[in-house]
Amino acid sequence: MAKTYDYLFKLLLIGDSGVGKTCILFRFSEDAFNTTFISTIGIDFKIRTIDLDGKKIKLQIWDTAGQERFRTITTAYYRGAMGIMLVYDITNEKSFENIKNWIRNIEENASADVEKMLLGNKCELEEKRQVSKERGEQLAIEYGIKFIETSAKASIRVEEAFYTLARDIKAKMEKKLVSKLYTPRGGHQLKASELQKKPTSWLSRCTIL
Amino acid sequence: MPDCSENYEKEISDGKNARNIKCKYCNSVILTPSTAAFTSFEFQLPLIRQSKINEQNPETENVSLFWAVTDMFTFQNVGFSNTVGNNKYLTCADCEAGPIGYHDLSNKMSYVALSRVIHS
Repeated sequence: MAKTYDYLFKLLLIGDSGVGKTCILFRFSEDAFNTTFISTIGIDFKIRTIDLDGKKIKLQIWDTAGQERFRTITTAYYRGAMGIMLVYDITNEKSFENIKNWIRNIEENASADVEKMLLGNKCELEEKRQVSKERGEQLAIEYGIKFIETSAKASIRVEEAFYTLARDIKAKMEKKLVSKLYTPRGGHQLKASELQKKPTSWLSRCTIL
Repeated sequence: MPDCSENYEKEISDGKNARNIKCKYCNSVILTPSTAAFTSFEFQLPLIRQSKINEQNPETENVSLFWAVTDMFTFQNVGFSNTVGNNKYLTCADCEAGPIGYHDLSNKMSYVALSRVIHS
């Protein structure tokens, strides 16, 4: 059967327990089916289809399913991941401080060119805020990644966050494809791929090479 | 509630789903037209609402009409539960109502129960 999509991206949600990753996984629903068979066994992953510039993109989104309680996530979980949403809770200072640890965990376990994005969740709880938007922005700049404040509960900018991450992965893949197609053989190869890399990585500080 | 209480004939066109398959509760699109094949066999599917939670022995009903999906990425929006035995149960991606069907890990097929979704 012919493929019904153009791209398939595996995305992970990472961050401390209680930052709202499960709510981010999809639109928060008032009609929570929380006394049922499904909530007892738990959800492994979700598949969602989005449209980007006329291309059909399948997102396979995985939650850490409680593994984060052990403050570390295994290599197996990161395998094949193309995008990672780093999530903290703006009303929880500790969850923000731990983002650095999560980034270290990602650098140790995930593919070096995985696309990352920082989400400050629960922005509907302004009166309980402990982490300013500026600090979130500053941290994102430090790591050369994008940043957005979301409210999964009030459905604010969650979709935008997924679209942004997916768009960046798609751009990266297309760039790779172009450099593959137009790279001349032999000695020029290295130079060409270096040039291709520049536009995406000008912000990023050093990552592990 | 037996499957045959509804007439599904108009939903099948060339052996496939004629219309969108959506969640009964929140209208989230699960499958777009003509992406799943109609099939019939017997399966004991756990009820969406259980009277008491009993993981080992959930209340089930006999379901016999399914939409079969060969590639899981054919789904527009769907959730996969953690593994139970040889299966993963399928849920609505948005409101997590389910099981709306199941995924068989041995043959990678997914089956959506006609009685657990709406067609529109």
